[in-house]
Order: sequence, then structure tokens, then C-alpha cells
Amino acid sequence: MSRDSAAPEVRIRDLTVVYNTPAGELPAVSHVSLTLTPGTITGVVGESGSGKSTLALSLLNAVQPPGRIAEGSVEIDGLGDVLRLDGEDLRRTRGRKVGYVFQAAQNSLNPLKTIGKQLLDLGRSHDVEDLRALVADAKALLSRMGLDGARVLDSHQHELSGGMRQRVGIMLALVLNAQVVVLDEPTTALDMITQATILRIIREVHEERALTTLVITHDVGAVAEVADDLAVMYGGRVVEHGPIAEVLGAPRHPYTQGLIRAIPRLSGDISLARALPGRPPTLGTLPAAGCVFRERCEKRMEICETVEPATATYDGRSVACHAAGRPAPVKRREYA
Amino acid sequence: MTKAVRERPRGAALARRVAGHVVRGLVMIWVVATISFVIIREIPGDPVQGMYESLLQKGMSPDQAERATAVLYGFLPTGSLWDQYVGYMGSLLHLDLGRSLSTPGVKVTSLIGSAAQWTVLPVLAGTLLSFLLGVTMGVYAAIKRSGKLGDLLALSGSLLHGIPVYVIGLLLVAIFTTLWPILPSGGPVDVAFVPGFNPGYIGSLIHHAVLPVVTYTLASYGGWILAMKSNVVAVLGDDFILAAELRGLKRGIVFRYLARNAILPLFTILALSIGMLFGGSIFIEEIFNYPGLGLLLVNSISTRDYALMGGTFLVITVGIVVANIVADLLYTAIDPRVRSGEAS
Ligand SMILES: Nc1ncnc2c1ncn2[C@@H]1O[C@H](COP(=O)(O)OP(=O)(O)OP(=O)(O)O)[C@@H](O)[C@H]1O
Ligand code: SF4
Ligand SMILES: [Mg+2]
Repeated sequence: MSRDSAAPEVRIRDLTVVYNTPAGELPAVSHVSLTLTPGTITGVVGESGSGKSTLALSLLNAVQPPGRIAEGSVEIDGLGDVLRLDGEDLRRTRGRKVGYVFQAAQNSLNPLKTIGKQLLDLGRSHDVEDLRALVADAKALLSRMGLDGARVLDSHQHELSGGMRQRVGIMLALVLNAQVVVLDEPTTALDMITQATILRIIREVHEERALTTLVITHDVGAVAEVADDLAVMYGGRVVEHGPIAEVLGAPRHPYTQGLIRAIPRLSGDISLARALPGRPPTLGTLPAAGCVFRERCEKRMEICETVEPATATYDGRSVACHAAGRPAPVKRREYA
Repeated sequence: MTKAVRERPRGAALARRVAGHVVRGLVMIWVVATISFVIIREIPGDPVQGMYESLLQKGMSPDQAERATAVLYGFLPTGSLWDQYVGYMGSLLHLDLGRSLSTPGVKVTSLIGSAAQWTVLPVLAGTLLSFLLGVTMGVYAAIKRSGKLGDLLALSGSLLHGIPVYVIGLLLVAIFTTLWPILPSGGPVDVAFVPGFNPGYIGSLIHHAVLPVVTYTLASYGGWILAMKSNVVAVLGDDFILAAELRGLKRGIVFRYLARNAILPLFTILALSIGMLFGGSIFIEEIFNYPGLGLLLVNSISTRDYALMGGTFLVITVGIVVANIVADLLYTAIDPRVRSGEAS
């Protein structure tokens, strides 16, 4: 697509999303501020339950009950605050302006219709005039991802494997040329090699079309290959965010450090890989005050019990930790 | 190209399914035929033997009596039980169900033939109406499930679902023919009109069909609304509906995705429901004195007209078997998973 059309910036500000639980409304995303630089791919990593999908859904103002966006804003260049959109405006934004790959992309298709017909439904919903061109684009995207486009469009969901369905989900998110693309674990059903291939293709399309892209993943190693920036989530907070080489090369937040240490591919040596101690918190077990990570933190101090660390910027990177500004620990050299 | 290639196995799978149904249906019909043979032949005071003997007493020769009985029951009363059974099955294959006792001399098949329309048409009309009504209301009940309207609709469904069909029939008779007499209390048509395609006759037919059809409708409406409501709620929770919304599909399209997926499982109980209404016709037609198969069966029982009884029973069985096949074909026509031979 046109390279000159400047990619939009996405500014998430002070976003809080709560879920209504038997214990009352509990935050799954808490005062998150995150800027997606135009034209970059931002990776989001974090353990299960850290709020990644909730954050992603907020970008489309699509948090589902019993969840609710309690406060904050999501500004996208050219669209304004998405959280203020509703009705037809919101519908037209979804899919056309912001492409979304659903976490369970294997189950994101209507079992009763062929992929081709669902593609046409998508085109008609967004008033695409040249449906033939849309089908041609879809076939091109599918064959880029290693599928027989004509055959896939003629198939029903049950005739496709999990990995094929996931690629169909990616195609449907890209085919309308949305300028912002959100991919929630787009490659989980794929083997390692296909996963790498698909991420590479996402990167290519992203560059061709000058997109602003958010990729959520469990797999820090996989996203390291394609992302420009990395945001690390823990307990509904973005605890560290910055250029990916720096975040991975010299992590400042104790959680990021632990996360990287747990991955042999990144720590370099299997014998050095160490699982993160403790368990990821759930909505109910998150401490109400102080640092959410303190129970699993090697560096916790007295202040961590009572005061939630504010996000501060250190050489181009934002970190939310009371210890982040202190002299770097000796161990840090390992990752440098 | 690819389409043509894949069409064939789909057709083959379909043929296999239909063949399976036909075989099962034939087995069911055979079992019912056998049971009705056993009933006619083996109940205390064997009616066939009784007939034969009374004819003998009236002075017929054994030969004449034998033939007269054979005409009535469709099989010869003498010989081994096995021979009689073979004879009975043989005449069934020739669609000969014997002759009626209570309407002497008239063929059972012609009695059934003229009664069938009075059951089949109202049952189908009731099924169609209750299906449309139940499905529509089920969608509303599901969408408004947290509101008063939804509660009320679901409650109406549970109530009607729980009331036996004859109670509904009796209530309707009491209300619309006695308390507030706006509908005829029985019979298929007013005898004052000349049968034929004239407005008076047709109007009277419809007027008389209202109560039976409404009874059939109410009897199965409850099941449809409850099933549809729970299907819609289940599909609403499916990932692909949220995914469709996240892709910005038009509301009407998302609604069609929802409705089609929720209606589909209902076709599996369509045959069951039609069968239930056929069974219910026994009560309904008696209540409304409506000359269908149900009333025929009731009358044949009360007059011990065994040939008629067995024949009617058999035809109702065939009706249920056919309903099963049709419902399955409908299901197959709209579920691509079944069409291609992989049950979901
Ligand atoms: N419908 C819901 N009702 C109650 N709590 C919910 C609901 N959906 C999510 N949560 C909670 O919100 C928190 C964040 O969930 P979210 O799905 O955003 O996490 P995630 O980081 O995407 O996890 P995963 O890696 O498993 O996809 C979790 O603690 C989860 O239990
Ligand atoms: S704020 Fe304290 S407890 Fe939290 S990560 Fe930093 S040092 Fe650890
Ligand atoms: Mg998730």
C-alpha cells in the first residue's frame, strides 16, 4: 500500500479495566499508559492472566461483560478516543481501521459458511466496492502464508487445521488494509518454523503498508525477531517498556530479568535457565497496595510493601520499580 | 474445479445417511407390523379365530369362512402361525391392510387414506407455526434474558412445555366453545356447505381447524422456545460471534450468523416433535371430534376393529419414519459439517 500514508500513533493513557467478580470489581488492567510509535511493531509479553488480552480488546473498545473499561483513553491518530466511539462509528472502526486477530483465532470463524463467503460478509460490512479485488488480495495474503488461497476460500472451517484457521484469521485482519493491527497470540497453533515464517510475513506486510502493530505473545523469543519495542506486563501493569534490544539486553525491572532468565534461548545456556519462582497472580490475589510483583521479587525493599512504584523513564525506557533507578546490580552484565 | 471434486464425497455421505435412515425405518415398520400381527392373532379371545368360528356358526362352509376372514384381516386364519405371519407380511407388501370390521367391508387403506389428511395437515401446520413462533420468541428470550420480557417468555415456554397436550386441548375447548363460544366445538367442517373449492366450504374448514392447529402449536411451542433460547445463549458465548463483532461485521450479518448456528440443532428434534404431535393427535382428535388418524385409532380400539387398529398404528409409524428422514435431510442441507460426512 501507499508508503506515504503516515502510520497512526496509538496513545493509551491511564487505562483501567475491571472485571466484576464475586469479590467485587477487580482491575485486570490498572492505570496503563503506553504509546505505540507510528510504524513500529510493539510486542507485549507477560504471564497468563497479566492482562494482555484485556488491554488488546480495549484498543477496539471491546471489553466483554463482566468486564468494563473504568477509566482512561485510547487515542488513535485520525480516529480520536476509541473509548468514546459507539454504534456505527465503532463498528466501522473495527476491522476497517483496526485489524484484530482474536486470541482464539482457531475458533474465530462461522462454522456454517465458507471462508470465502465470510470474506465477502466482511467486505460488504465495510462497503468495499471491488469485491473481486478483495478476494484477490485475500488469496495473495493466504498464499504468502503458505496456503492455497482458492482452496481455503472454498472451504469451511472444519476442513482446515488449527494452524490454517489461524492464518485465515490473520488474513481477515490484514485484508481491509487497516492501519493499526492488533494480533493476540497469532501463532500459538503453529509449529516453531511456521510460527517464525508467519511472524516474518507479518513484519513484511507491516513494513509494506506502514502500519502500527501490536503483537501479544507468550513467547519472548519469537517476538524478539520481529518487534521494535517490547512492553512487559505483570498483574495488569506495564512494568517495563522500551526498544526491544535494550529491554532484552539490559532488563531493568526484576520481573523482566526473571522472565529472560527463564528462557534458555535468550539466557544462552540451558543450565543457566531458571524458572521464575512463585506463581502468576490472579485478580483475587493481587495485592491492593504496594508493588504487585513484590511477593516474587528478589530485590524488594520496605517501600515496596506500601507504595506502588511509579513509572519512570531511564534512557528511553520506562520502568515501574523502586529499585530501577538504583545502581545496576552486578548480575546485569550477564544480559548485556 | 475444486468444488466439483469435493461435491462427490458429499453426495456419497448424504446417500449413506439417507440409506441408514431408510434401513432403520424399515426395521421399525417391520417391528410394529409384527407387533400388530401378534396383537391381532394372540390377544385373549383371538379375534381372527373368533371371526372364523362365528362365520362357521352362521352356516358358512369352512372354505367360505376362511376366505371371508382372510379378506377382513389380510391373512388366512388357518395353517401354522408362521404361515399366517408370512401371509400377513405378504399382503402388507401389496399395501393391503385388510378390511374394517366397524365399517363393514371398507378397506382399511381407504379409511386411513381419508383420515390421514385431517391429521397430517394440522400437525404440519402446528409444527410450522410453533417452530416459527418458538424460534422468534426464543431469540428474544435469549437477548432479553436479563430483563422482565425475557423472564416472561421463558416462563411461558416452561409452562406450556409442562402441560400435557390433552389438557391444553380441553382448556381450549372450554374457553372457545363454552365460555366464549366463537369456534366450533367439533367436526372437520360444517355440513351445511357443499364440499368443493368454494369460499364457504374453505372458510368452514379453516374455522374448524383453528382449535386443533392451535393446540398442536401450543403443545410444541414451549419446547422450541426453550431449546432456541438455550442455543442462542450458547452461541452468543462462542468465540466466532465476538470475532465477527471485532471484525466490524454489520449487525444484521452477525445476527444471521447467530440465528443460523442456533437454529441448526433444532432440526435434530424436529422429527421428535412431529412424532410427539402425531401421538398427541390421539387425544386432540378425540377432544375435537376431528376425523384424523388419532380418532380412527381410538375408534378402532373401542370397537375392537383389530385390522383397522393395526393398520392405523402402522401408518402412524411410517409417518414418524418419514418425518425423521425429512428432518435429517433438512439438517444436512444446512450443516456443511454433516454434508461433508464429518459429524462435528
Ligand atoms: N470474563 C472474565 N471474568 C472475570 N475475570 C476475567 C475475565 N476475563 C479475564 N479475566 C481476568 O482478567 C485477568 C486478565 O485476563 P487476560 O485474558 O487479559 O490475560 P492474558 O494476559 O491475556 O492471559 P493469557 O496469556 O492467558 O491469554 C485474568 O486474571 C483473568 O482471570
Ligand atoms: S518495586 Fe520493589 S518489589 Fe516491585 S519489582 Fe521493584 S524492587 Fe521488586
Ligand atoms: Mg490473552
